[in-house]
Amino acid sequence: MMLARVAENLYWMARNLERAENTARLINSTTHVLLDLPHGATFGWANLAEIAGLDDLFAKTYPEANEESIMRFLIEDEANPSSIFACVKYARENTRTLREVLPAEMWERINSLYLYVRKNAQAACSNRRERYMVLNEVIQQRHAIVGLFSGTMPHDDAYQLIKLGRNIERADMTTRILDLHSAISFPEDSVVREALVERIWMSTLESLSAYQTYRRLVAMHVRSNDAIRFLLQDMRFPRSVSHCLNEMETCFRLMPKSQQLQQLTALLRLKIAQHPTADLDAVALHEYIDLLQQQLCEIHDALMQNYFHAWQDGVPPSGQAQGDFEFAQQ
Amino acid sequence: MELARDEYATHIAYDELLDRALQPRAAAQPLFDYLNSLHDGELAKRQQAVDATIMAMGITFTVYSEAGNIDRVWPFDPIPRVMGRKEWESIQAGLKQRLRALNLFINDLYNEQRIIKDGVFPAEVLEGSGNFRPQCVGITPRFGVWAHICGTDLVRDKDGTVYVLEDNLRVPSGVSYMLENRQVMKRIFPEVFRTTNILPVDDYPARLYQMLASLSPREGEQPVIAVLTPGIYNSAYFEHSYLAQQMGAYLVEGSDMVVGADDIVYMKTITGLQRVDVIYRRIDDAFLDPEVFNPDSVLGTPGLMRAWRKGNVGIANAPGAGVADDKVVYAFVPQIIKYYLDEEPILANVPSYQCMIEEQRDYVLANLDKLVVKPANESGGYGMLIGPRATQEERDKFAELIRNDPRNYMAQPTLEISTAPTLVDGKLAPRHLDLRPFVLQSDQLYATTGGLTRVAMRKGSLVVNSSQGGGSKDTWIVEDAA
Repeated sequence: MMLARVAENLYWMARNLERAENTARLINSTTHVLLDLPHGATFGWANLAEIAGLDDLFAKTYPEANEESIMRFLIEDEANPSSIFACVKYARENTRTLREVLPAEMWERINSLYLYVRKNAQAACSNRRERYMVLNEVIQQRHAIVGLFSGTMPHDDAYQLIKLGRNIERADMTTRILDLHSAISFPEDSVVREALVERIWMSTLESLSAYQTYRRLVAMHVRSNDAIRFLLQDMRFPRSVSHCLNEMETCFRLMPKSQQLQQLTALLRLKIAQHPTADLDAVALHEYIDLLQQQLCEIHDALMQNYFHAWQDGVPPSGQAQGDFEFAQQ
Repeated sequence: MELARDEYATHIAYDELLDRALQPRAAAQPLFDYLNSLHDGELAKRQQAVDATIMAMGITFTVYSEAGNIDRVWPFDPIPRVMGRKEWESIQAGLKQRLRALNLFINDLYNEQRIIKDGVFPAEVLEGSGNFRPQCVGITPRFGVWAHICGTDLVRDKDGTVYVLEDNLRVPSGVSYMLENRQVMKRIFPEVFRTTNILPVDDYPARLYQMLASLSPREGEQPVIAVLTPGIYNSAYFEHSYLAQQMGAYLVEGSDMVVGADDIVYMKTITGLQRVDVIYRRIDDAFLDPEVFNPDSVLGTPGLMRAWRKGNVGIANAPGAGVADDKVVYAFVPQIIKYYLDEEPILANVPSYQCMIEEQRDYVLANLDKLVVKPANESGGYGMLIGPRATQEERDKFAELIRNDPRNYMAQPTLEISTAPTLVDGKLAPRHLDLRPFVLQSDQLYATTGGLTRVAMRKGSLVVNSSQGGGSKDTWIVEDAA
C-alpha cells in the first residue's frame, strides 16, 4: 500500500533523472553530429529545442537560437523545466519527500549530483570540451544512482514506479533523438550524402551507447532503415522503444489493478513491431515519431489516472475531498 | 585530555562530569579513563569523524533563510553527558508521575472541572489559556489520556537539584537526535561501549509504535498508523521522516488524507482510499482541521475532529492537550500532582511568580533584573526576558508587556544551570546544557533512558534551542559502581 503522493513523487523523480541523462546524451550526440557535418550541410540550433518539444518556451526568453543560447536553455536555465539543472533539482526535491521509502544513501547521491550540476552547468554552456566532460559526468553519476536503486531497493511497488518513470522517459527520448535526423538538411551530391548519412547514424547510435551493440547484433554498416528498426523494434537493446515498453509491461504486471495499462502498453509495442521501417523518408519518420510520442503520452495519462488519482473514485459522498492534488513537478 | 582550566577557574555552575576539585564524578570516571588513554589529537580526529558521519547519515534540521531553506547539520559534541542509573531512575519515576497527573488534569478540565470546583486551580487561569480548545469539551479519549508524548525539559541548579523547566505537550521534537546521537557515538567510540555499561536507548521507536497502536479504534487488527507532517519545509521534517521510517508508519501530509461523510479518515493510496487508524500528528492544533480550527490552514485535513470525536481515529497528542503546556499552568503542577495522585512531587518545579496575582506581579516588576520572564504560550525560547543579561530598555519593555497582559506572563529566579565539559578548540570547556527526556503514556507509562542533551555551544550562553545555535550530546545512563 502506497500513498498516491509518494507514488507520484517517485515516478517524477525517476523521469526527471532519466530526462537529465537523456538531455545530456542528446546534447553530446548533437555536438558529435555537428563535428561530422561538411560545409554544404546546415543544422539549425533551434531544432534542438524543437526536438525536446520546447521551442515555444525557448522563443519566449531567447531572441536568437545559437549554440550558446541553446546550451544555456537546455543545461542551466531553471525556467526550462526540462533543463538538466531543473530536472536534477526537481529530482532532489522529490527525493527529500521520499527519504522514508528510499535507500538511505539515495538522498546523498542525488544531492551530490545536484551540487555537481549547480557548480559546473555554466562552464558546460560556454565551452564544448568542458561540456562533453561535464555531461559525461552527469551520465555517470546517474548510472551510479540507478545501480543503487536496483542493488539495494526491495522490488516493490515503489521500485516498479521508478522503473516505469525511467522507461517511459527513455522511450520518449529515444524517439526524440531519432527525430534529430529530420532536422538536418543534406547536401545535394548523392555520394557525399550517402557517406554523411552513415556518419550521422553512427553518431546517433553512439549517443545512445548503441553503436557497438548495433554492429554486433545488426550489421557492420549503419544504414538508416536498419538503425531506425534497431532503435524502435529491437527487444534486446535497453534503450530501444520496444524494450522500454516491454519493461513497462513487466512493471505493470507486478503492480495492482493494472489490466488496462498492461494492454495499452502491449498494444503499442505490437504496433511498433508491425510498422515497416523501410523507406521512411525524413517527413514520414517525423510523422511516425510524433504518433509514437502521442501514444506514450496516453500511457502516461492512464498511469497518472490509475495510480495517482484513483482515490478520487472512492471518496464517500459529500466527503471533503481537496481538489488541490495536482502537482506541478515537471 | 586537557581542561580549559581558565574557564573552570571562575566556574560557579554545577558540572555534570567534574566535581568542585575538577575530578571526574563516579559515573564519569570510566569515560575520563578512556579519554585520557587517547593520544594527543586523537579526539580532534574523532570530532572530524563525527562531522563526516553526521553529514553522511544526513542528520539535519532545516533553517529558514532568504536564500531558501537549507538543511543544516546538527551540531554535535562528542563528549557525552553521563549520569548514574540510580539517580536517573528517580528522575524517571518523577517524569511518569508528572505526566500521569497532567493527563488526569487535562481530562478533568475538558469534563467535570473538579479541580476548579475544589478551589485548587483558579478558573481565571483556564479562561486566559490560549491552548484550551472549547471544541474538545466533553470528550474523554481512550484511557483518559490526552498527552501521549511529552518532552520534559530538565535543568540542574548549582546545588545539584534537578528542576523541571517545562512540559512540552504539544508536538515535542528532538527524539530522533537522541537516537542518532547514540548511533554516531557507537561508530566513533566503539571501544568505550565495551568497557562501560551504558544503557541502550534504541527501544524508543518500538515503544512509540506500541503506544500509537494502542489508540487504534479497530482492536485486533493491524493498525494503519500515519505520521502527519506539515511537509519538507518544517524544521523537524527530518525527524518526522525518521520516525515514520523507524516505525514502518506512513508519512503523510494533510492533503494525503480525506475524511468521508462516514466520519472515517482515509489516506489516498495508489489503489484508492485506505482507512487510517492512528495519527501521530506533528502539526499544531490550530492547523489540524480547517473545519474546526483555523479555516485557512492547508496543512491539516478537513474533518479530522469529526472523526476523532466519533472515536474513529486515534490522534496523538490529542487536540487540546496543549492546555497543560502553558507556563502559568506549570506553576500549579505540584498542586496538581497532590490533588489527583495524593502524592508528593518527585521532581522539583522551579519556583514561579504569577504575574496575574497582584503581589507576585509587584515582586516581579521590582526584581526584573534578577528574574527570567516567560510568556505563557511560547516555545523554543522565543519571547523570553533573561533579566540579569537584559538592558534596562528591554526590562522596561517587558514591564509594559506584563502590565498589559499579566495572565500571559510568569517569572522565575535565574537558575545557574549546569554545565558539562564540551570540546572547544581542542580543550574541554564548560558549556551549559539541559536534558529533554521523552515520556509516553497510553495504557502504560514509559520514559526514555536519558534523553536529548542540548548544549549551548557559545561560551556563557544559556540558550540551547537548535533554532538558536544550540547543539547536542549523547546522554549516557551508566550502571553505578557496586
